[in-house]
Amino acid sequence: MKNIAVMVRNLPFNTRRNSEALRMSVGLTLREDKVTVIFIDDGVYSATQAKPELINVQPSKREFEALSMLKCTLLADKPSLEERGIKNLVPNVKQAGRDEIVRTITGSDIVIPF
Amino acid sequence: MQDMVNMTTELDLRGEVCPYTFVKTKLKLEDIESGEELIVTFDHAPAVENVPRSLKNEGHKIMGIEKKGDHLWKVRIRKA
Amino acid sequence: MKLGILLTSSPENENTNTVIEISRAAREQGHAVSIFLMYDGVYNVHKKEFAQLAGNGVSIAVCALNAEQRKIGKVDGILFGSQYDHACIAQGVDRLISFG
Repeated sequence: MKNIAVMVRNLPFNTRRNSEALRMSVGLTLREDKVTVIFIDDGVYSATQAKPELINVQPSKREFEALSMLKCTLLADKPSLEERGIKNLVPNVKQAGRDEIVRTITGSDIVIPF
Repeated sequence: MQDMVNMTTELDLRGEVCPYTFVKTKLKLEDIESGEELIVTFDHAPAVENVPRSLKNEGHKIMGIEKKGDHLWKVRIRKA
Repeated sequence: MKLGILLTSSPENENTNTVIEISRAAREQGHAVSIFLMYDGVYNVHKKEFAQLAGNGVSIAVCALNAEQRKIGKVDGILFGSQYDHACIAQGVDRLISFG
């Protein structure tokens, strides 16, 4: 079994990219590897309770539900949240300090910045 | 003694795409016993090719793929 | 060594050339190479260099859902697979590099 970390770093607006990073993360669990998603920098906006459907963007609800069901760890980088004044996170996304983010990255066999 | 032929579970995955088609099939297979059969309904063409291929890779047996309509297929799987 | 490459950007990005050159060099050195194309990376399937890589023993798989969303037709020698195939690559390789 491998530890895989997927890093979501970019703004989720005007793109399906972040949602696809989450769909890929679901897929990466299919061979019993342990997947952790790290929301960092502008990627933390993907972990907020935003309503993208208001601008005709499909929300990532299904991806988040699957990741939770598959017991993936979802971490949001605390300094990135604080810099942007973000407080409301999607259920099951945990705020993590830089020490925990670094521990997750160094403990991973594969790190995929998406 | 229970008849194996009657031990069939059905799963409707219409509206689902990859990888949820595989995730949900896999989770359903965890609920049934080895040798039992699961019939899954798909309406997404890539899933009909890829899910059976992936299941075979996991050791399960594909007993048949039946086209039921323009975009509708039933895949019969026997759990390993 | 088994090398895995994930490519998520479209062919106008310089990532494409990097992936092609790394894959070629790795094959020349006798390494096994598996490439997975997803998101806009699926647009690379029509690059002739990818067909050449496939002919040279590089295993190439595409996310069929992303290809379907972008109306990309099948290409001989390239597997129009799923995220399960990406999971198999991730599990089976010694190193995985992502370009996106």
